[in-house]
Amino acid sequence: MPVITISRQDGSLGNEIAAKLAQRLSMQLIVRNKVISEWMPEIANNYELHMLAESPKFYLTQCCDGSTFKEYIENKLIEFSEKTPSVIVGLGAQVIFADNPNAVKVRIIASDEVRIHRIKSKYRFGDAEAIKFMQQTDRRHKKYISTLYGIEWAESLDYDMVLNTDRLSIEQCVEIIAFHAETKNSLQFTNTFNFEQPQNEQPKSQEAKFKHPAEEEFANILDMYGIDWEYEPRTFPVEWDVEGNVTMAFNPDFYLTKFDTYIEITTMEQKYVTKKNKKVKKLRELYPDININIVYKKDFHSLLERFGFSGGVEIDEFNRS
Amino acid sequence: MNLTGVKEILFSEEVLKKRVAELGKQISEDYKDKNPVLVSVLKGTMYFVADLTRQIDIPLQIDFMSIGVYPGVAKNTGIVRINKDLDINIEGRHVLMIEDIINTGLTMGYLVQNMEARKPASIKVCTLLDNSQKRLMNIPLEYIGFEVPDILLVGYGIDRNQDFRHLPYIARYEGE
Repeated sequence: MPVITISRQDGSLGNEIAAKLAQRLSMQLIVRNKVISEWMPEIANNYELHMLAESPKFYLTQCCDGSTFKEYIENKLIEFSEKTPSVIVGLGAQVIFADNPNAVKVRIIASDEVRIHRIKSKYRFGDAEAIKFMQQTDRRHKKYISTLYGIEWAESLDYDMVLNTDRLSIEQCVEIIAFHAETKNSLQFTNTFNFEQPQNEQPKSQEAKFKHPAEEEFANILDMYGIDWEYEPRTFPVEWDVEGNVTMAFNPDFYLTKFDTYIEITTMEQKYVTKKNKKVKKLRELYPDININIVYKKDFHSLLERFGFSGGVEIDEFNRS
Repeated sequence: MNLTGVKEILFSEEVLKKRVAELGKQISEDYKDKNPVLVSVLKGTMYFVADLTRQIDIPLQIDFMSIGVYPGVAKNTGIVRINKDLDINIEGRHVLMIEDIINTGLTMGYLVQNMEARKPASIKVCTLLDNSQKRLMNIPLEYIGFEVPDILLVGYGIDRNQDFRHLPYIARYEGE
């Protein structure tokens, strides 16, 4: 199952990004509070819970099942994430999942100036209080990671990506991480634009053998929108001779599975499409429950023009379909 | 005001107001006790959703989405992705998608697929304008303000290169 680990500085918006990311990708959000309140009481008494809240060193103490608290948390996180796609905040998860091919490891940072501003605003602190708070929390994070794993918390090489929220919004960070996670070959999310298609599959338009380049172009447009399709999946007889032999059949180019719609592409001039129109008319008469649309040359070219751009363009009105 | 290219008015302020009120009344009846989430697709829906929601007299929540096209890895057509996602968790909720205009249905198809993956209790679509001549796929539209011909339109949120959104009416546009 996919795992995204989020390491963050206080005031970096990392918690907010993690929460939105989990929602965006329908993944379970795991934060320290959940671990302490839901998992640790299984093995820790009140005194141990208190110590776990206070001292990183105490995580190296043996608990009742013979392992250390640190190992217990690691095992629980691994076990849980094997069954449930998870976004894990903190907890040294970037180390625990360092070698996991399904894991995306992210660190969220911001400049001190921006962090102080956010901390002041969040806690209504003055300058001095905010600076002290930021330094204290940084020290705690750093100490936790170095005590448990002997590594430097801020080491960027431990992460797949480091995002600076000085200039990136929460939504932008969520999209960047989601994009990376979705395109990582081994991940198979259920909440992506082609959520029923494993991410390591080639786009269908690169697999099918099309009879005409226009069909491939159209398939590319469908892929772009993550619309599931099949190429010429069904033939409809539309005319028979007296013996009942089929004399005319129609094989629409595409079937949009989720929208139960057949599509026929034609790039012929309008005056030459009479035969095709006749077939579609017959099909509609004989199979009234079948939804079928013809895309004519003019419409097809306007579609191509519309989608012949790229580069983070917002889809709106005249380039919207 | 420079209105170059803006031709005859198709739907005046009064006509829009009347139809939006009718839609609001219908939605209020259909979604009574359902506390729906109205999902508005930016930016063309801004006036429509503002006017429509004020004509709905049941509890509801409003959220916004924006989608864009990004370069594709393997192809030059790009891929569609979310620029601005929902803030509200729609799992188990009744969702009403609000659109200004539906043409081919590709955008709405993408959005409906995306919304379905979040397991809402229901998804329905309300569009102010429906250009069914352009439709490629079978997308059930629960609420339609007006059927429109296959022409360029501006006003009441609909733009031409970001211009003319603020016109209080919807007019035909004829330009380059």
